[in-house]
Amino acid sequence: MGIKLYKEPKLVKPVLLACWPGIGNIGIMAVDMLRRMVGAEEFGEIESWDFFYPRKVLIRDGELKDLEFPNNKFYFQKTEKKDLIFFIGEEQPSDGGGVYAEGTKAYRMANLVLDVAQKFGCQRVYTSGAAVAPIHHSTRSRVWVVPNNKDLIDEVKGYENTVLMSEVEGRDGQGNITGLNGLLLGVARRRGLEAICVMGEIPIYIHGFPIPYPKGSKAVLEVLSAALAIRIPMDEINALIQQSDSEIESVYERLPSGIKEQLDKLKYVVYTKPSEPEPITEEDKKKILQEIDKFFKKDAGRD
Amino acid sequence: MLSEGKSFKLFTRSKFDSSSMVVVWNQDVGRLGSRVADYLAGQLKGRELGEISPEGFFSLSGVTVEEDVAQFPESKFYRCQNENFVIFRSDIPRYNWYGFINLVLDIAEKYFKVKHIYTVGGMVLPSAHTTPRTLMSVVNSTEMMRMLGHYDVVNDMDYETREDQRPTFSSYLLWVAKMRDISGVCLWVPVPFYLMTVEDPQACKKVLEFFNGHLELNINFTDIDKEVAEQNQKIAEARRRSPDLDGYISKLESNLGLTADEGEKLVKGIDELLRDSRRV
Repeated sequence: MGIKLYKEPKLVKPVLLACWPGIGNIGIMAVDMLRRMVGAEEFGEIESWDFFYPRKVLIRDGELKDLEFPNNKFYFQKTEKKDLIFFIGEEQPSDGGGVYAEGTKAYRMANLVLDVAQKFGCQRVYTSGAAVAPIHHSTRSRVWVVPNNKDLIDEVKGYENTVLMSEVEGRDGQGNITGLNGLLLGVARRRGLEAICVMGEIPIYIHGFPIPYPKGSKAVLEVLSAALAIRIPMDEINALIQQSDSEIESVYERLPSGIKEQLDKLKYVVYTKPSEPEPITEEDKKKILQEIDKFFKKDAGRD
Repeated sequence: MLSEGKSFKLFTRSKFDSSSMVVVWNQDVGRLGSRVADYLAGQLKGRELGEISPEGFFSLSGVTVEEDVAQFPESKFYRCQNENFVIFRSDIPRYNWYGFINLVLDIAEKYFKVKHIYTVGGMVLPSAHTTPRTLMSVVNSTEMMRMLGHYDVVNDMDYETREDQRPTFSSYLLWVAKMRDISGVCLWVPVPFYLMTVEDPQACKKVLEFFNGHLELNINFTDIDKEVAEQNQKIAEARRRSPDLDGYISKLESNLGLTADEGEKLVKGIDELLRDSRRV
């Protein structure tokens, strides 16, 4: 059980982009799309059977031919400005069998991913996930950024359309990033590697549904393409957004009018520390968020 | 039989005949423990000796974010150059506390020949920052009591954990050390409650002065003196600007209590003042 490399590409200080599925599949959709768009080539994998329960069995003529496990694959590409390694995990390993990574298996997986990245000279890691936020689905998602080293704060502040934890009202710079998209930041920190998690916003009332939220992924993609100096055509993600918008709208229209009225108010909520006067009062905002919170009985969080 | 592997890793093979170990926790009032460790390591050219793996002791379900930066539990040993002196700096484990403490002591005894342990911690008090800091001690042996006899340390503390609280992790460590015949002391410094969430360089200096004398470390205090002066100056300026803030601190200086509301306002005012200036 461990790492299997099919080839050993010559890379110069490659940047690792690692991602696992999470809320709205925001991170993995963005990172996987980036991987496809730069034409990254598969070069290795982490063997799955000690991490996951099999997801498919193949039986032919009464004989068990194969078991299929979630994939954990490495890809690479040399771009004009930077060499890239991608790691895409199809599932998060968890000792407890939960959806999000937890425990020894997750820790081992994070270390194996970084073992490979460091073998090729990686010094910088990006992970990606979702930031559950009190926003409306018609608004542009922003990207919450969390570095694993305070020296990176100035750099991440320079990325367009991003928010630091300290800019989120009531958080005072604190929070949690659950699952491997967070854990990898910590393990990288332990190894002295720079790492940044970029989390696309997803509306609080959508995050519980098992549907992707490409608008959040697009925001992540924009930040990553700027950070890595790669031009990415946005046609594909725009088409997905259009499709998802129309699906969300059709559900939204069928909501009882009382609920819809409450959710509509999110169009006017600014939950980050305001740089200009807000269109509604603080009291209104508090009330709206309380009502919505009560409705969903969940707090904002992230994956 | 203790051996390197999954639970811990040594970076270098230093030879020790006998050593003292200072233990600090990252989760400490006024960041006292981590500041003391940073200063000692900086002054005495501390380098990493080894670390304990987080597996089995900490939650590995993600990371926490503090002051915009992702954190991760660490438990590391450092050696200070030319000194038989080890620093153990760690987050407080979430699980298997007894196992963690025993592992720390196993490593300390086997590889670093630790004979004496000193833990450092802050104690929140409703006092003013202008009140001189005192050093209080809780020992686990008469040997340590005797060793501290020459120092300006309060060593007659009576205390019982209240029903709604639990003993500190340093106390737990000291107790396990006692069972293993390792002499140790918990050193406590009062930290004014309004410096609890920021930093208290005066408390840090108090502890450093103790180690400097007790372990003959030759510490240069210029940097910490500068920090103390800067913090005092910032608070003094804030007092001049805000009569309310000045009134609260004056009350504490006169040994008068504050109402809950006054206390909250003082904490908020000082927190904003010192945090903002740290971010500049």
